[in-house]
Amino acid sequence: MFVPNLIGYARVVLALICFFLLPCCPWPAIFCYLLNVLLDEFDGHAARALNQSTKFGAMMDMLTDRCATMCLLVNLSLLYPAYTFLFQLSMCLDISSHWLHLHSSTIKGSVSHKSIDLSGNPILRDIPTFILLLLFPACSVCDVRGNELFFCLLYLLHHIEEPAGWLYALLLVCALIALAKAAISVVHLVTASQNMAALDTAERQSAKKQ
Amino acid sequence: NPGETDFSYARVVLALISFFLIALLDAFDGHAARALNQSTKFGAMMDMLTDRCATMCLLVNLSLLYPAYTFLFQVSMCLDISSHWLHLHSSTIKGSVSHKSIDLSGNPILRVYYTSKGTFTPVLFVMCAGNELFFCLLYLLHHIEEPAVCVSVTGWLYALLLVCALISLAKAAISVVHLVTASQNMAALDTAERQSAKKQ
Repeated sequence: MFVPNLIGYARVVLALICFFLLPCCPWPAIFCYLLNVLLDEFDGHAARALNQSTKFGAMMDMLTDRCATMCLLVNLSLLYPAYTFLFQLSMCLDISSHWLHLHSSTIKGSVSHKSIDLSGNPILRDIPTFILLLLFPACSVCDVRGNELFFCLLYLLHHIEEPAGWLYALLLVCALIALAKAAISVVHLVTASQNMAALDTAERQSAKKQ
Repeated sequence: NPGETDFSYARVVLALISFFLIALLDAFDGHAARALNQSTKFGAMMDMLTDRCATMCLLVNLSLLYPAYTFLFQVSMCLDISSHWLHLHSSTIKGSVSHKSIDLSGNPILRVYYTSKGTFTPVLFVMCAGNELFFCLLYLLHHIEEPAVCVSVTGWLYALLLVCALISLAKAAISVVHLVTASQNMAALDTAERQSAKKQ
């Protein structure tokens, strides 16, 4: 039994408890959610430190993230039903872009879905973007957490009687980050589709030669 | 207000027609791909992603209609996404051609589920159709405001809902089996990899 996988199972249980409590008891639910985020940061480090990285662990980690985001968007649809379609688009984009990207890189043989092939994409060949991507680890964290924080703030602001002004300012900043992340997800989705189409074409051509 | 009722019925009917067309095209594109010899990995992937997202979005709308059952719908969509994703991922690493062709030796339940004769797979078809129909019926029955108007039709619909609910439950159980099997496969692949790395 690997420690990171045990943390992974704990995260799944925490997530289930969180979403069970979300409609009725905001603060215990938020506590579970924050604990979940903490464990998420921790299990990656634990896996590398203890040399217990596994494909299964990485997969479980990502599935937990995808499902937690999905479930949070369901609850947000209940709180803001007028925006349901936007939340549906967001969860479809999130699932599709990650899935297609992981699948195309698995077929191509990459080690982790977080290591990307920079050579193929013209947007990514831009110098300013390239510099940005050198800072990718930091930006990636801000991007992912900023996106998550946006959804959490939407939930919180619905439950706080008289929210402070700075919370709305934070919401605006996070909204911009969430928008940027959505745009990047679309790029990932298109790139991964092109990669898969290229793999398909190569496969059909080699089949013809036989 | 008669105008409002007409509009909401029109929306319900259009939604159901759209869903039916999606299901029809889904059955059709597989046959077209094989007939025209235009099967691609990308096409298969897009097909599955469309199915997963459509189911997910329908469950969101059902959560809005039946908010007391939101947690059950959330569990259902997480199970749907996770079991398919983990199964596809483990079989891709293992090297299978399609996620529908699986290693049947391991699990007797999955063997029955996938055994096919020709292009028609009865058990799989009934399971998937019944599951989708359950969600569609939940949506439809929420919008029938006066069951007394056509009692016999509504009665049949509720009977059909019960049958589909049982199918949906069975499909969920099978998804759990898939999830566990795929996890075990991945763990086995990981172990094999670590052992071969040690030998080097």
